[in-house]
Amino acid sequence: MSTSKEILDETPFQTAGPFLHIGCMPNAIKIEKLYQNDLGKIPFKNKNESELITIEGSVFDGNGVALDDVMLETWQCDEKGEFKEESGFARFIPNNLTKKFILKTVKPGSFKGFDGKIHSPHISLSISSRGLNMTLNTRIYFEGDELKNDPLLSIINNCNVNCLIAKKISKHSYLFDIFLQGEEETIFLDI
Amino acid sequence: MNVKSLIRRNYKKQPEVDFPDYKSSIFRAPKNKKISFPSSDSEILGPIFNKNIIGELDNNLTLNFSKNKNSPLGHKIIVYGNVSDQFSNPIEGALIEIWQANSAGKYLHNNDKNIAPIDPNFAGCGRCLTTSSGYYEFLTIQPGPYPYPNRGIEWRPMHIHFSIFGKSFGQRLITQMYFEGDPLIKHCPMVNSIADEKAKKSLIGALDTSRSNTQNLLAYKFNIVLRGIQQTYFENRREGL
Repeated sequence: MSTSKEILDETPFQTAGPFLHIGCMPNAIKIEKLYQNDLGKIPFKNKNESELITIEGSVFDGNGVALDDVMLETWQCDEKGEFKEESGFARFIPNNLTKKFILKTVKPGSFKGFDGKIHSPHISLSISSRGLNMTLNTRIYFEGDELKNDPLLSIINNCNVNCLIAKKISKHSYLFDIFLQGEEETIFLDI
Repeated sequence: MNVKSLIRRNYKKQPEVDFPDYKSSIFRAPKNKKISFPSSDSEILGPIFNKNIIGELDNNLTLNFSKNKNSPLGHKIIVYGNVSDQFSNPIEGALIEIWQANSAGKYLHNNDKNIAPIDPNFAGCGRCLTTSSGYYEFLTIQPGPYPYPNRGIEWRPMHIHFSIFGKSFGQRLITQMYFEGDPLIKHCPMVNSIADEKAKKSLIGALDTSRSNTQNLLAYKFNIVLRGIQQTYFENRREGL
């Protein structure tokens, strides 16, 4: 059905702007009673606290300022490495006092992809905000995992690859800071 | 073996991210080149959103925040269109979330410093899932233009923000729809961050008078195209044959 047709152009992006909370997480800015829950508040339902990990961090601009008007979205498989279409998505913002975001989720498993290769455990992450004309994409990998054969990490010839690996700070918690610019600029992906 | 891949994004038809005319981009736009890599399951397989998250009035912004059924100020509009992929296949179940200023050009948001009145009957927030033919529709009011600090004070053209999820994380799109005939469009640095004229035009909702005349409101049509996903079949080589 889709072979000989003209290929359309993808609709262009525009910035999500400073007021994205109204449409994407109204309860977070006290626009209540419209939506029962903000989308992506809990990535996996019916999980015990003991099954969850915490990923914490900040998003820094080129002046080293930790931003609180960005929206982060994550998408991942479950602990067995299976993608379940209706769970695994999370959406969150940094706290406006601490400027830190906290994601509580299950640690994704590794999976054998449709390319036949083994992919190391990772979470896809996107960042949208005022000042970003397009949503940025990156990935969170985990310190301590087997990473050297991951299909993405193995094509990055950059000593900065560490910026994609969350640091383990305790058994169930990780640190993942994001730098939009500067010497430590995070690697962003053309997904 | 079926290998799926998203059609590579054509950045010539997308906005420049490092675009100093839009002042906020100066300290936020990354400077390094993005890394391209073959699509994996992570970019292709979901998320997909369930119908049960959508409430009855979620796509009716004229009623979803009104007190005692009072209408928000401004004139009513319908914004509608189709969501398809780059192969023109309709996308069913795409989640569209929108947000916008009220008719005075004011957002219901603490960070909006514009001295224009809040409308107690309007939140400017809506969402829906597309039908089997990829169709969506919102009933809302015409958002006003508004001043904002950029290179001095500038004016945003009238617009509605759109966030769209198709069937895969790699199709994720966040954009804005503008309104046909708005003289502010050509002055807007966010619009002008897109160099390609045709791409720029594709963000302008077209006035649909056929619908406007029969329903006592103005209608604007805005079609959305998300990335296509290709499938390539590789025959597995069988050992020993």
